[in-house]
Amino acid sequence: MFEYLNDSTTIKYIVTIGSMALFFVGLFGLLSQKHFIKIFISIATMETALFLFFIGNMFNKNFTAPIISEGFTDIAKMNDPIPHALILTAIVIGMAVLALGVSMSIEYYKLTGNTDIDKMNEMRH
Amino acid sequence: MSSILFVALPLLFGFVTPVLAKLGKDGVAYASTLMQAFLLYLAFSLLSGDSSHIEVISIAPPLGISFTLNSASLLFVALFTFMMTLFSLYYLSHRKTDAYKNETKFFILINMLLAASIGLVLSSDIFNIYVFFEIAGISAYILSAYEKTPSALEAGLKYLITGALASVFLIFAIVLIYMNLGSLNLGVIAQGFESLAFNTKLLISLLLLIGFGFKVEIFPLNFWVVDVYQGSSTLINSLFSAIVVKAYLFVFFHIAYLFLPSAEFSVFLIYLGGLSMLVAEIAGLRQTNLKRLFAYSSLGQVALIFTAFALQNRDAIQAALFIVLAHSIAKAIIFFALTSIQKEHKSMDIETLKELNSPFLRAIMLIAILSLLGIPLFAGFVGKLLVLKSLAVSGFIGVLVIIIIASLLESVYYFKLAGFMFAKGEKREALEIDFTQKLVFSLLAFLLLTIGTMPFIFSGFLSESASVMLDSSTYILNLMGGR
Amino acid sequence: MSGFTLSAVFVLTLLKLLLENIPQSMHRAGDSLLELNSTDGVANGVTTVVVYFRGFDTLGEIAVLFIASLGIGLMLSQNKRCTIKAQSNFMLHTAAKLLFPIITLYGIYVMVYGHLSPGGGFQGGVIIASGVLLLLVSHRDFEVPHSFIVALETFAGVCYVLIGLIGLFTLDVFLGNFLPHDISQMGLLMSGGIIPIIYIIVGIKVGSEMSMIAQNLIKRGDDV
Repeated sequence: MFEYLNDSTTIKYIVTIGSMALFFVGLFGLLSQKHFIKIFISIATMETALFLFFIGNMFNKNFTAPIISEGFTDIAKMNDPIPHALILTAIVIGMAVLALGVSMSIEYYKLTGNTDIDKMNEMRH
Repeated sequence: MSSILFVALPLLFGFVTPVLAKLGKDGVAYASTLMQAFLLYLAFSLLSGDSSHIEVISIAPPLGISFTLNSASLLFVALFTFMMTLFSLYYLSHRKTDAYKNETKFFILINMLLAASIGLVLSSDIFNIYVFFEIAGISAYILSAYEKTPSALEAGLKYLITGALASVFLIFAIVLIYMNLGSLNLGVIAQGFESLAFNTKLLISLLLLIGFGFKVEIFPLNFWVVDVYQGSSTLINSLFSAIVVKAYLFVFFHIAYLFLPSAEFSVFLIYLGGLSMLVAEIAGLRQTNLKRLFAYSSLGQVALIFTAFALQNRDAIQAALFIVLAHSIAKAIIFFALTSIQKEHKSMDIETLKELNSPFLRAIMLIAILSLLGIPLFAGFVGKLLVLKSLAVSGFIGVLVIIIIASLLESVYYFKLAGFMFAKGEKREALEIDFTQKLVFSLLAFLLLTIGTMPFIFSGFLSESASVMLDSSTYILNLMGGR
Repeated sequence: MSGFTLSAVFVLTLLKLLLENIPQSMHRAGDSLLELNSTDGVANGVTTVVVYFRGFDTLGEIAVLFIASLGIGLMLSQNKRCTIKAQSNFMLHTAAKLLFPIITLYGIYVMVYGHLSPGGGFQGGVIIASGVLLLLVSHRDFEVPHSFIVALETFAGVCYVLIGLIGLFTLDVFLGNFLPHDISQMGLLMSGGIIPIIYIIVGIKVGSEMSMIAQNLIKRGDDV
């Protein structure tokens, strides 16, 4: 009864709608939340949503992983290795930037006791 | 002579510095300056010959990453190495009294910033551009928050959050590009971009515009710039103005000319640039803090460069390149001078200029301000005149009027500044300027005067760079043909 | 409410656009790279792409991690040790001491065999760092030896760029594969030339940097 779920177009529809929903949840969080850590979580959510969108759409369930080993030597039936490589790099870079952001906000909180992005007014306008 | 050395050497130096620090802080400072001077020598030796080539990394394009060195990218590489060497020279004398804490980390960061800016300009692969985008970004965030005072941390946090948002949009664009076109090489993408569905083209272009727009500082995505300039230390502001934003400008328009060569987007971007300049200059009028004032001035000039690049014809691009040179040199002078003033006077309020007692600094700052204004005989005049001429010739009279109004507004606060500088009144004791600093200032001011009075020395090379930037088909052909 | 309807319209347009343009299966660069991999790479196609075909991006990513670790050390440079409120008991102590060598060994395995099976430098480095994190959390006075980690980091980073430069000088291609990488060796531990070496270097760097980041974040001053 659920055979239509095996259809690859349906899977791509589900992946696209789901990851874009996650992306917009993150975007909404970024624009509406005031606490630093919540903003960083929103940015991380947006990035994860994009990675899911990419991998989900580039995945072909009839193909196998791009690793040559016993019995799996047919290159034409292997998935694309570039999305994996790009996402590996992007995950590490995203994590590094957010870790730096968290440490900056820890130090800022320690110096001023403020965690609200609207109340950051060290600079007089 | 390989162009990869411009990126590999600062990276190597950055990696080796934590161990090199055992030799002592002075050792690191001199080694860093020496390495940057060597890169400057390399860049100038490449300038004199005909050195356009493609530098292959690992495997040949279009399957692999490559660096393309042509007149346009070489111009920017030379500019960045020159500005960074002068920055290091100025810092060598500045650190005798006012060194940064944890100085070895500072040197690592500025070298990484240099490597990333040069990599942005040279790279021919869109994901590689994203990686350099991130390296430059993360170095800039830390440099911005370096002093760990509350305002520095606020600047760093604002910069980081907007930068992370920009990279999310850029990743979205790269994901869509790979899904639809199947390659990450700029040449292959440019060939296939025309044949995409209109909706997809529009979405990718919008995402790229937003992603780069944060860094290229156009309205309305430049709300972070002024606070970041005010919170960071004054010396770092010179790097931001002179090197970082120019790299992003070049990359954005390089990609724009390749992907959409038929000037469909031009009208929108020209109006956007004009609007940004007007908004920046209006906001700059009522500033009383020197750093904020010059930040708004940077915004205005960058918007002018943006408009010139958006016109997409050879004379306009040549004008943009003239303004790039003039603006980088002038802002370097201004921010170095402000650093010297801040050492003595501590406050960056505009009233401080009344108490300034250094005829040398006043003369140098006057030269920089006259260049930024666009007075004839100074470097800024050439570029501004050419931009206005291009706007008139292309028929954008509305934008022409907007830019003239914005320039008039700019001149209002520059004359106010000059008036403060030369006001009669009580001065503090004389400000001592070190010999090295005097040398740096004089060299920069001499360059401004040279470009202003004898622009024909540079116009040949700049015109060639402009044609190279526009010449997408040769660029694509070189990339597809491999080595 | 108008903001809500506007954003709903925007979201729906975007979804419609993306769903219409679901990419068909076309010949992408990755497929050509897989073909190149079967004559010039290692068994794990993703490793070849990450380390060799796109090795410059990996170098940039290492640089980003290095700068981030530097920045976190700069921001959180306090010297007071944070006391974790829960008392760490005997079972936690012993279990952590027992598990740490196993986790490290597993991490090293994932790192070294990264070119033959799924895994690699990043994954192995993070596994090792999680073992260090376990020790940091369970033992009150455990400190990662600072100068040792800095030496490891520097050694790994310099080696990576030097390998690239050696490729530049011998093969005229930065990060070219200058060690013998015979295709008959594919599937064996010693195959692929510089690829396993670079991935081990990446693993060392990632492991040491993540340990430093974990230590800086835990070794905070007050009760934040």
